Order: sequence, then C-alpha cells, then structure tokens
Amino acid sequence: MKKTNLQRLGAIALTGAMVIGLLAGCGGGSGSETTTAAAGTTAAAASEETTAAAGEETTAAAAGEETTAAAASGEAGMASWQPFAENVTITIPVYDRGQEGVPDVTNNYWTQWIQENFGDKYNITVKFAPIPRSDVMTQYALLASSQDLPTILMEYDFDKVATWAVDGYLTEYDVEAFAQIAPTYYGKMEELGLTQYIELNGEKVFALSERPYYDTPYTYVNWVRMDWLREVGYDHIPATRAEYLDAMQKIMDAGLSEHPGGGSMILSGQGADQNYGYRTFPLNEEDWVKYGDYNIPSLGYEANKKLLKFANEEYNLGITDPEYYTIDTETAKANFINGKSYKYGGYISASMDWLESFYEINPDAELAVEVQSLTEDTEAGTVPAYRSDNPFGMIIGFSSQATEDEIKAAQMYMEWMIQPENLFTMQWGIEGETYNMVDGVPTSVPYGEQPSEYKQGYNNSVDYWCVIVASRVYGTAEDSIRTTSPQGLPVDFSDALIENYHNKQEAAKKGWAVTDCMFGGAVEGATEYGTELQAKYVEYRDKLVQADPAEFDALYDQYAQEYLDAGYQDVIDDRMELYNEGLTTHLAQ
Amino acid sequence: MAKKSSSATPQYKTKSSWGAVLKRDWQLYLLLIVPVVLVVVFNYAAYPGMRMMFMDYKPARGFEGSKWVGLETFAKVFKDKDFHRALGSSLVFNLLDLLVGFPMPIILALMLNELRFVMFKRVSQTILYLPHFLSWAIIGSVAYTMFRPSTGLVNIILTNMGLIKEGIPFLTEKWHWAVTYLLIGVWQGMGWGTIIYLAAITSVSGDLYEAAMIDGANRWQRMWNITLPSIRGTVVTMLIMNLGRIMGSNYERLSVFGNSNVRDFQYQLAVYIYEKGLSGGKYSMATVVGVFQSLVGLVLVLLADRIAKKLGEDGLL
Repeated sequence: MKKTNLQRLGAIALTGAMVIGLLAGCGGGSGSETTTAAAGTTAAAASEETTAAAGEETTAAAAGEETTAAAASGEAGMASWQPFAENVTITIPVYDRGQEGVPDVTNNYWTQWIQENFGDKYNITVKFAPIPRSDVMTQYALLASSQDLPTILMEYDFDKVATWAVDGYLTEYDVEAFAQIAPTYYGKMEELGLTQYIELNGEKVFALSERPYYDTPYTYVNWVRMDWLREVGYDHIPATRAEYLDAMQKIMDAGLSEHPGGGSMILSGQGADQNYGYRTFPLNEEDWVKYGDYNIPSLGYEANKKLLKFANEEYNLGITDPEYYTIDTETAKANFINGKSYKYGGYISASMDWLESFYEINPDAELAVEVQSLTEDTEAGTVPAYRSDNPFGMIIGFSSQATEDEIKAAQMYMEWMIQPENLFTMQWGIEGETYNMVDGVPTSVPYGEQPSEYKQGYNNSVDYWCVIVASRVYGTAEDSIRTTSPQGLPVDFSDALIENYHNKQEAAKKGWAVTDCMFGGAVEGATEYGTELQAKYVEYRDKLVQADPAEFDALYDQYAQEYLDAGYQDVIDDRMELYNEGLTTHLAQ
Repeated sequence: MAKKSSSATPQYKTKSSWGAVLKRDWQLYLLLIVPVVLVVVFNYAAYPGMRMMFMDYKPARGFEGSKWVGLETFAKVFKDKDFHRALGSSLVFNLLDLLVGFPMPIILALMLNELRFVMFKRVSQTILYLPHFLSWAIIGSVAYTMFRPSTGLVNIILTNMGLIKEGIPFLTEKWHWAVTYLLIGVWQGMGWGTIIYLAAITSVSGDLYEAAMIDGANRWQRMWNITLPSIRGTVVTMLIMNLGRIMGSNYERLSVFGNSNVRDFQYQLAVYIYEKGLSGGKYSMATVVGVFQSLVGLVLVLLADRIAKKLGEDGLL
C-alpha cells in the first residue's frame, strides 16, 4: 500500500514537473513580456535618470556654443557618463566562424574583460550573440522574429544592412545625441568623411566604422607553391593567363599534383566570382551601377561571362578538381596543406594556423606571396583590377526592438571601445602573454603559443573590435603589415606583403581599385530576390563551368535569361532608377 | 459464454457519470494532461500565426506592423516556376520513397520474426535500429567520404578490384544520386520501421501457427497465409499515415546530399521553403507552402482512409 502511494506520488510529481517544464519552455511570449515590462520599468526609471542626464546635457549645451566645445574640454563623452540606475543589458553580435581551437565566441577572457572594464562600471550587462558567418541573413531573420535582435546590428555589406533597414530591423537614431554620448566615435566618422553614408531613404540609420587603406586591401593574400613552379622551370609567379595555363599543365605532367587548381564550392552571397579583372577599363558608369556588386553575382554581364569561360577552360583542362563543387572551404584548405593544390588564400594575421600546418607537413616546400600584378594581360584581355573595399568597415545600425537606454548603452560601448587604450588591449591582448614589444613595435605571439587563458579570438579578436576599425593599425601601413605578418613560420613574408601593398597603391592610382556603387535608397529587387538569386547563381555557374566548351556560349545566354527572369532584371531596374534619381555614388574620375 | 461472464459482473456500471469516472481514474487523466498540453501548444497554439499567409510579414515589424496583402503570396507561389519544379521533384521522390521504403520494414519484420536464435535476433535488431539514431549531417558526410567519384572509399575499392575504370558518380550525377539518395533513406529508416510490425506480429496467436504446422504448412506458407494477413490492419494504417507525408520533405536529408550537379532532383519543397522563405526572411511565403503541403497531406490521408474502408479494411479514422 505504501508502495502504491509512493508510486502515485512519484507519478504526480513527474507529471507536474513535465507540465510546468513544458509551460515554462513555451512561455517565451510571457517571458519576453516580462522583459518588456522590465524594460518599461527601466525606461520609466530611466526617465528620471534621463532628466538628470538631460540636466547635464543642458549644462553641456549651455556651457558651450555646441557640444564639440564640451567634448574638446572633456565634458561630453565618457567624462559625462553616469552608471545606469537600473542594469541595462545590451547584446552585441559576434561572428561565429566555426573555427576550431578558438575560444567560445560569446564567453571568454575577452568578453569578460569587456564586462569588467566597461559593463560593470556603468551598470551594463554586455552579452554577445553568435552570428554564423556563412548565414548572416537567416540568423538575423530568426532573431528578429523571436524579438531577440541584438542591440546593434552590423555587417560589412551595404546590401544586407539596407535590407534590414527596409524590413524594419533598424531604428533611426538621434545623431546629435550620439555625438554627445560618443564624441570620439562620431568625430572619427566626421574626420573620415563617413557621415555622408549614414542616411538611407532619408532616415539616419547607420554609424560606420573605419576601414584603413580601403582601396589597397592588403589583408587578404594568396600563397602559391613556388617550389612547384621552380621545378617546372619558372622563376616567377605566372604573370599572364598563358603562363598560368602552361605552368599548371607542366605541374600536372610532372606529377606534382593531379589538379593543381584545386577549387571549392562557391558560397553564395560572399563575394563569389568577383569579375573586376575581367571588365573593360575605363569602366562604363552605367554598367558599374547595374552589375557592380558583392552580393548578387552578375550573371549576364560580359565580365562575368569571360570569368566563367576561363573557369570552364580550366575545368576541362583538368586544372580544377573535377569534384570541386562538393569541396567545402575546410577541405580546400586541407587539400592545400596536404600538398594537393597550388594556391590558397586567407586573411593575414600574426597567427595563421593553416600556414603553420602547411610547413609542418611540407617542411621543404617553398611558398610565395602572390603579389599584386601591375601589367595588363592584353592577350587574355584581363586587367589586374580588384575590388576596393567600401570606404568604411562595419555598417552599424541600432535595433528597432531596443529601448532608448539600450541604444544609449550600445553607443557608450562603441565610445568606450574606440578609446586607444581599450582598443589596443582588445587588438593585442596582454604584453608577455599574447604580444611582445619588439623594437618598440607590438608583435603578436603565434596563436598556438598564446596561453589558453588569454587566447584571443579569430584573427586577433577582430570580431569584437570590428565595431571600431576593420583591421589593426600600428604606425604606418608598412608597420601595420609587419605587425600583422604571420609569425612563427620558417619564412618571414613581411617584405612580400609590403611589396603587395605598394603594388596595390600603384594599381589604385591606375584606377584598378574598384569600389562598388552605393545606393542611398533600398534596392527593392535586391531585398526581394537577393537570396534566391544567389542560390540560383551557384547552380548555373557550376553547370557552366562543367559544360562542354562548344556549348558554353549558348548555355550562358540561356541561363543569363533565366537569371534575369528570376528577378535580376528587377534588381538592375531598381538600381538604375536610384541612379537616375541621383541617389547613388559615382565612379571616381 | 463471454457475454454471460460480462453480464455476471454487475458492480461495473455501463454508464458512469463524469465525476465518478474522474474520481476512479484521476491518475490516468492527470497523466493525459501532458500529451494534451503538448498537442495544444505545439499543434494549435501556433495556428493564429498562420495569418501571416495573408500578410507581407516582416519579422521585425510583427503582426501589427506588417501589411495585409490578401492572396497575393498564394498567387506568387503558385505562379513561381521554381515552386513547380520543387513540387514535381517532391512528389516523384516521395512516391519513390514510399514505393521503395514502405515494403522494406515489413519484409524485414517478417524475416526477423523467423529468426530462432534469440541472441542473433536481438543483435541484428539493434544493428538495424542504429542508423535511425544517426543525424543526417553525419550520414551525409560519411556518404560523401564513401561515394566520391575519385576519392571515395567505395570507388577506390571497386577501381582497385578492376571492376570499374572510372569512379561511379554516386552523389554527383543526378540519376545515380536519385538511387543513392533513396537507398540511403531506406537503410536509415527500415530498422526503426520494423518495430511497429514486430509488435503487431507478437499479437498473432500461436495456435494458428500450430494448426498450420499440423496441416503441413512450411515457413513461407505460414508467413504468407498467417503472419502477413494478421498484420494487414497495421500495414494499411501505416500506409495511410505515410500517404500523409507525400508532400512533405526533409530539409536535413536534402541539404546534406545536395550539390549543384544534382539540383534538378534535390530542389524539393523543403529546399524551396528554406532558400526562398526562411533565408530570405520571407516567412509568409514559407507558411503558404507549408500549409499547402499539410492540406494536400490531409486530403490524401482522408482519401486513402475512405478507400481502405471501402475495401473492407478498418481504416484510420
């Protein structure tokens, strides 16, 4: 009898626990209501605080002609901040790049360091929201629908943030208040001439971070197998297409690699198939407006056709791996490390794991940096042109789901981060642990050798400080390159990387650094059809690359037409409409 | 005889009041709360959200801030060429899945039932169940490792044995892909599918087998004439339920086996919903297609049920 009672009791307890657990799990709605209510309270409480703060602001405004005076005397900005009366939580997006061996992106020594040195001081809880690097738009859409958008939203691509603005993810912000809260940040935007980009459709929605040396992007570099080239009789990296094809053929004939060109599946919407080098210079402005884009590849544009024709030729010659479309980036990287492919590229940083692994496996191999070329290949009809970055780094917007206090706290975060001492610590870490001063210049400790306790995030924690600047700057560009040059390798690539930068400067002077057109209004076609066009492009381009060369032209025209019908025509029309209304940037003369 | 015995137990009333029943079986009703709440929360509580079918729903604007557009999204979806393509592939592949995948668990259950060595039977069952517990992500990456034309294990072995000269493009040519995709699906699901049939088989009376054996029926005859007819009701029920899934598709499974060479076949409704709906933030469109899938599934189930009843089976409802 006792046992039965016990069993009953147990059953009731279990049932109760399950029901409660279930209801609690489904209580997202009510939970968020509570949050909203709490936020409401905060807002209400803060309104008192705002009055106090407003008092200060009034003082500041009264004190000088304008805030700038106050800022200059150190009255605005951080000096004027007071801790929030009630704790405010802000969420900052951080890319989760799926890299192995890097600390948890949302909770590590550096996120805690931010909390201790910034959050705790002003009664702000700083949370980080992981954003998968390869699927940014889906992640933000999911966050938006669960009313969970981070306080600031940021991306490097204008199209993406413009889509967010149109879809109501972003709120217009008070630029004057921003300049008060974050005078250093705003001052930097003014100094760099970035304030011209803060508006979209007449609303002030963006804040922009710095992109150093944007038209000479030296941070992404390709490395090639110089030892293979030497073995087949080349003492230099092939400078023309004819030389390249010849060298690859010889490498294959010599049995050095089965498919030296390697290759991997292209990722939609991540700058796939950039065709700057295949365009006709000087550029035609209308074509530049219509087709110049990072997100939606320009199938149907002459330059794209040429690019794919070359890819088709390389595929049919066996240079490209015949199964490239099933190879992901990690496998492609592994193929290079394992000596299967001729070339691989990546962002330079003091610790480059794949180069370290490469030398471990191929200690006798010789790698060379593919330095920016300065000669046109008239025979192939290509130009060593490249995509110049936007004149800004991160494009930052404030969430429409955030309260006033949260936005204020986020702006404080930006101002705090831009302070030289904080930025330096975030970029370099701790002396003696993650970097050392060598001849007065900070030099990062190789990633593998950084103590796990203080280990920096991917690429020297770039995904945290990108809200300020896109790459580390120390002294001149050359100094910066030296400090960012990969450490701990048998070869020092600093000189080659600097030469690459100098050549980029030369190329930029010749007009070969092309910045894409930017639009002051939303390109509705891009918002509507962007993601599906990206997916379609992958399918069409892979079919074209693998096509019989004799059928290439006909097939290209067919797919180009289908692509236009699937929405690309709308994208082009919308872009041209904005161009005709004078709402776009223009080609640099 | 049986009737007599039931009428001989007067303490059980045939009609009881709600209160009495509740008092008597309250523990059972308490336990029932959980599944009922689950169904209500996950199957019905979300229904009001379906009004986004008639809206240009923007996640950040919510229901209040999004515009009503009537049947515009429906028109857009049904006119969309990609939708037709995805619908076609979904139908063909789900039918094939049903055709290939449905009989396998039944055959397997019959075979397992015939095993007499208990240990061997248990071990085989466990091995057969295992694939069900592997995620598609794992199955996909293992499949690519095994079936790549040049570097896949299977092709390397076949080439080394001299059976083939060039690797078979199991996953990189659409017709080969279709077969591989279907067979991997069968392999993954058949073991798990046997459970329900094995349970049905255990309820078949041993007397029948005994009688048949006395009459000289061999194994095949017993299987064909006793086991199979005895589980016919279960088979029909399962078939009806499976018909409800003819419009559905599993994004995970399609996604892990996808590559641009097989997109003609791999582009099914789940992929369509993900690419055009979710990743583009177009939830209205995704909902329209989702509801369409469910409605067609429902109609098929009802239709199949009716046909089954006409053919003298018990049916589902």
